[in-house]
Formats: sequence, structure tokens, C-alpha cells
Amino acid sequence: MTKFLLISEDSEKENIIKDVCSSDEVITSVDEVLIFDILKVEEPDIVIIDGDFKSIDLKPLCRKIKQFPVIVLMIMGETFHNKDITHNVNLFIKSPIDKNLLSATIDSSLKTRQTLLKMTKSNQELARSLYQLNVLYDTSSQLAGSLDKDKLLKIMTEGIEKSLNFELSCTLMFRSDREPVLLVNSLYKVSDRLLEALKLRAILSYKSLLSDPPFDIKIGNLKIEKTIKHNIQEYDFSVLRYDNMFAPIMLNDEFFGFTEIYREKPFTTEDATCFQTLVQQVTIPLKSASFTQELKATNRKLQKLERLKSEFISIVSHELRTPLTAIKNAMDIILSGKAGDMTENIQKFVTMGKRNAIRLTGIVNDLLDISKIEAGKMDFKFELTHIEPVIEVVKNNLAEVAREKELTIKYVAGDTAEVYADSNRIEQVLTNLVSNAIKFTPNAGEIEITSKIVNARDLQYDHCFEEDIKNLKGNYLQVCVEDHGIGIERKDLNHVFDKFAQIENSLSRQVGGSGLGLPIARQLMESHNGAIWCDSEINKGSRFYFVIPVANDKSNFNMIKKQLIQKARSSGNTVAIIKIKSTKTVIENLIREENLLNKTYMSNSLIEDDGMVASLSMVVVDGDKPSAEFLKKKIDSLTLQKKNVYGECDIMYSYEIEGDTHEKDSYSR
Amino acid sequence: MKKILIVDDEQDIVESLKFVLEVSGYVCYTAFNGEDGLRLAKEIMPDLIILDVMMPKINGYKISRLLKYDNKYKDIPIIMVTARSQLEDKAIGEETGVNEYITKPFELDVIVKKVEEYLGKEN
Repeated sequence: MTKFLLISEDSEKENIIKDVCSSDEVITSVDEVLIFDILKVEEPDIVIIDGDFKSIDLKPLCRKIKQFPVIVLMIMGETFHNKDITHNVNLFIKSPIDKNLLSATIDSSLKTRQTLLKMTKSNQELARSLYQLNVLYDTSSQLAGSLDKDKLLKIMTEGIEKSLNFELSCTLMFRSDREPVLLVNSLYKVSDRLLEALKLRAILSYKSLLSDPPFDIKIGNLKIEKTIKHNIQEYDFSVLRYDNMFAPIMLNDEFFGFTEIYREKPFTTEDATCFQTLVQQVTIPLKSASFTQELKATNRKLQKLERLKSEFISIVSHELRTPLTAIKNAMDIILSGKAGDMTENIQKFVTMGKRNAIRLTGIVNDLLDISKIEAGKMDFKFELTHIEPVIEVVKNNLAEVAREKELTIKYVAGDTAEVYADSNRIEQVLTNLVSNAIKFTPNAGEIEITSKIVNARDLQYDHCFEEDIKNLKGNYLQVCVEDHGIGIERKDLNHVFDKFAQIENSLSRQVGGSGLGLPIARQLMESHNGAIWCDSEINKGSRFYFVIPVANDKSNFNMIKKQLIQKARSSGNTVAIIKIKSTKTVIENLIREENLLNKTYMSNSLIEDDGMVASLSMVVVDGDKPSAEFLKKKIDSLTLQKKNVYGECDIMYSYEIEGDTHEKDSYSR
Repeated sequence: MKKILIVDDEQDIVESLKFVLEVSGYVCYTAFNGEDGLRLAKEIMPDLIILDVMMPKINGYKISRLLKYDNKYKDIPIIMVTARSQLEDKAIGEETGVNEYITKPFELDVIVKKVEEYLGKEN
């Protein structure tokens, strides 16, 4: 049925129109207020205005009517002259009214109007779908950015809320394996009994969803977490009568939980699709999240194990040292003759015992060293030193052992330079290399030690050592130990530096040892910012090389930096390094003041850097990493004071937070 | 006099074994690697062999297998000594036909007793 509103005082016209629209409803009114009430309440399809109607000014009336979704038809009488109103009117018909024409006009315009309405409706639906699609897209990109279960479900719920405007949602999830949580998201407050009902419903759904529930959820162990939007009203059981949708959150057979939403306005099929898609989208990130969780837990366990292992080795090694010392002492007493005379055989076997006790001590020390290095607890005494005397010492110490095998040790020293090193550790590395050379040379021959200065780009090495050497830059002091012994197969070259390699490889087990000498040497070299590697030919001999950076300001800085970082790390702290560049006078004054006034450490050595002088300053921070903000403040406090003292001068700062190269930044003022 | 061959790359071990066995009245021959050990075993036809597992060139399992699958030498008792105590090592030892399997560290008395079980007491 079509509704008409007729604005006319002319009863003749009214009769004609009522005649034409006989099966429809025609309301006649001439009161301006009433007209608009009718338009609002009755929502007529067509308004017919008599052009001869004079009681109201037609021009504003038409403009106002046009704001309603109606067709406006004007009957143009003989007296109708007002051309201004035409653009607010859809149809005109001349008076006197031709009934057929009127009927046809109304019919066709109604049809047009219906089509238009349909189009508007589908347009609205399209807009709605587009919006939902946008929410979907938005949600999925948000989901991709998180690996936190709680956050993922929050994003999902927000997505559903945005696209479906629900009143209440319930999501069941598991915090850890043992902790079920029901997340309740509601527009208004939720009454206690409704909450109980929702809990019960969730438990029932859980039990019906899984044929063999891995975990028993009860009212008692199901935790509730509520998010309430407005407190002005409270929901009760009536919510349960709302339209609802339910979806399990599952990937293949893995169950993460489910979500259920309630809405007063019924859901459409499009809504259902949207809901399903949103829930579907969260499953893969949830799976990743649980993988990440597992991975993190395993990592923590591994780290703990690694620490335990180091501690274990360290404790055991210490415990072994005491009885070992006692054994050695006892045998020393027998050998000294103070305990009484001994036969040749007694002397022979006690010497054998002592020799092996010493050997065992060596192995125990190696184990202790490696566990210390791995735990970052190795103490170094770095100082500026020459290495040649160390080589002489090692050569003399091992000369006797070499002579027993008719071997000679020769040392050829090349050009030299100071290095920043711990002499004892260098001696340890060199002793290891030379005794290996002695061990693996069957009989008679020469072992040659050479030292010289080389540039990193001139180093020659097998590509399997690429990783160890590629980062070296500048000048290095290189020491080479060359033997003519059994050699190492090419495929084993890199593995000789692996822990316990010797024990695993029976071929090289010709001579005893802990199998830790070379791994320790490699670690020690790393601590020196150097490297160690070898090349070899089977049955012709091996050459072992190691390099230490030639001391200059830059390499010293790197060593200081490395030491401080290591110290901070072993005590659970973090180091931030601030590099300050300015003129020499400024820097020198800065260092003096800073080291006196503040507890920051500033290195005394200066380096030339891009025509300026630079110094490093360390800020040791307890526990957590310092934020970039913290450092900027620190830098500000440093520079502002200095500017007051030195006036305008160029001071450049850059900082670097240990362990996090991402937070590297330059900052100059 | 019964002849015993001791094969071990650990010189000190060989020497202490040789000493106690000689005191017990046996004649001892020694080898410090598998190759020499195998050659000597065939050369002197010992009455018993004490064999280490981990040795350069030819390991103890291989020697034992080579001897035990050869009719000429299969009756020579072999006592295997090793620092490896894993069960599978013992299984390999049994599979290769060794008569006894003793793990390091061992007591010299135990070895002497085992030798006496196979060869009878000398003197």
C-alpha cells in the first residue's frame, strides 16, 4: 500500500486524487505543523501539493519537505506562477487533472522510488561489508604483530566488537596449561548470577566441544576477567535471550579456547562469516605464540643447564685439585729421599706417579679454564707489552722436552710492536702450540717459531677460518709455530679448535691431553680481539698462527670496552658506552673532571678520530638496559655544564648500549 | 714360562702392568700401538693378550676381531682394558670375542688375578 499526503483545500481535487488512489491511504492536511508530524510519523511515499494552495508560502514548504525521503508532486493550477520552487519538486501535473495521466505518473515514480530504495539499501549493506572487511584487515595486521596470547585474544575481541557491535562476549582461554580463564567483555555491568550462568555455559560448551578434555574445568578453577564499558546499567539473564554466535578457537586438532558473543539485534549471515573469519585469524598467531612460549622456556632451561654445567666443572675441578696436590706432595717427599732410601724400581714408579699427577693437574686446569671462559669469569691482566720475551720463555721451558725427542726449537723474530695483552695467557697459548708441535712430530726435526707484523688484509688462511678472521682490521702481531710432524687432514682443520676434538678423533689420540688446549687458545685469542688458525699438510707438518692487534689508541679502546662489558655482564649489569669527541683540551679537562666528580668511567687514552680527539665513557647500569632517554639526559647534563665552562665548542657524542646494536645512535650538539 | 703381550698406547700403564706380571713370573712383551701389537701377537704367539681399546692406527676391537676370527690365534685369551665404560662398548668387546673386559682405572691385583685364572700361577 502506498501512502499519500495531500496538501490542498480544494475538495474537488481531493476527490479526484482519492478516486485515482482508491486502494491507497490518502491523508489530507493543510496545517503546517501537522504536515511535518505526518511526514515524520506516517512516512508517506508521495506528497501531493496543490499549486493553488495559498495559506502557506509554498517555497519554504517545498524546501523543507524535500528533506524527507518522499516524492513531491505539484499540481499546477491556473494561478500557479512561482517558478522558484520547481527544483524542490519531483513531478508536475497540470490542472485540471487528467486522471489517467495522474495514475501513470504516480505509478512510474513509485517504481523509480522503490528501485532507488533498494539501491540505497544495498549500498548500505556494501558499506557495512566494506567496514567489516577493513576491521578484518586491521585486526589481521595487528594479530601479525604480537606473540602474546592475552594480547592476541584482546585484538580479536576488539575486532569482533568493532565489526559486530555485540553487547557481551565470553572468551575461554588457557593462561598456561593449568589455568583456564574466562574473559568477559560487556557493554554494561554483569550481575553475579549472570556471571555464574556464563561460567556454567562455558564449562558445558568446553565439555561438549572436546570428546576427551585434556583438563577438567570446574566452577572453582575457572577464573573470570571482566572488562566493563559502562557502569550505568546492569545485565541480567535477559542477555542470554539475545541472538548469539559461538566459535571454537582451534587449529587442526589443537584447542586454544572458544568465544561466544551476544547481541540484541539479530546477526546476519554476513556477520557470521565475519565472526568466523576473525576467530579463524587468531589461531595461527596463537599457535606461534605457544611455540614461542615453549621456545623461551626451553631456552631458559638450556641457559640454566649451561650455567650448571660450568659450575659443576668448576666445583669438581677445584675439588680435584686438593687431593692431586696431596698426591704430588707425597711423591715429592718419597723422591726427595727424606722418607728413606728407595730402590731403582721405587724411584721409577713414584716418578711415573708424579708425572701422571702433573698431567692430571694440567687437564683439571684446562677444564677450569674453559668453564671460566664460558662463564665470562676469566680474569685478564691486560697491559702494554712486547711478546718476544714471552716467546723466549716458552722456547726455553720446552727445550728440554723437545730435546728428549731430538727436536730443536728455533725462534726467528721479525719486526715488533707493543700489544695490549695478558702475558700469562699468551704464554699459555704459545706453550700449548709448541707442545702440540713437539707431540705431533714423530722424531727428530725442527720446530720454528716466527713473529712479525702483518696487516689483516694480507693474512692467508683456509676459507674454513673465514668467520674467525674476516672481522680483523688494521695491523697485527702474528706469531707462527711450524712443525714437520704428522699434520692434520684438511677436513679436520677447523675442528681441532673444537672442544674435546682429540678425544673423539682416535687418529690424533696418539698423544694424550685434555683436548681442550686449542679451544682454550681460541677463546683466549678472542678475548684479546685476535684470532688463531692453522694450515697443514698430512705427513708434512702444520703451521699454527695467532694474531694480536698492535697496540694503538683504537685497539686499546676496543680492549677496554670489551673488558668492561665482560665485567658488567658477569655481574649482571649493562654497560652503555658514550663516545665523546672534541678538541684535545676539552677532552682532557672532561676526563679529569668526570673521573673525579662522577662515577662514570672515562678512559684516559685518547684517539684521533676524524680530526678530533675522542674518549670513551662508560656508564655502568644495574640490571636493566638504560633507555635512550636516560643516556640523552646523561649526555645533556655532561654537555650543558661544559658549554658553560668552555663556551661554545664542538662536542660530539654518540652512544651504544651493550648487547643492543639497534639502539645505536649519534647525537651531536 | 708363559708369554703375555701388553698393547696400550699409554706407556706408563704398560710399564706398571709389565712390572707386576713379571714379578708374578710371566714373560712380557709390549707394544704401544695397534699395528705393532698385531704384528707381535702373530710373531710370538703369546699365551694371553692385554689389550687397550683406544689406540692410534688399529684400535683394540679390530685387533681382537682379527685374532679371534683366525683359527690360528682364536684360542689366545684377550683381556681388554679401556677408559670407556659405556655398556655398548662392553657389548662391542663381547661381540669381537674378548674374554674379559676391565675398565680403567683398574687395580693391578685384579689384572694379575685374571691372568692367573687363565694361565695358572707361575712359580
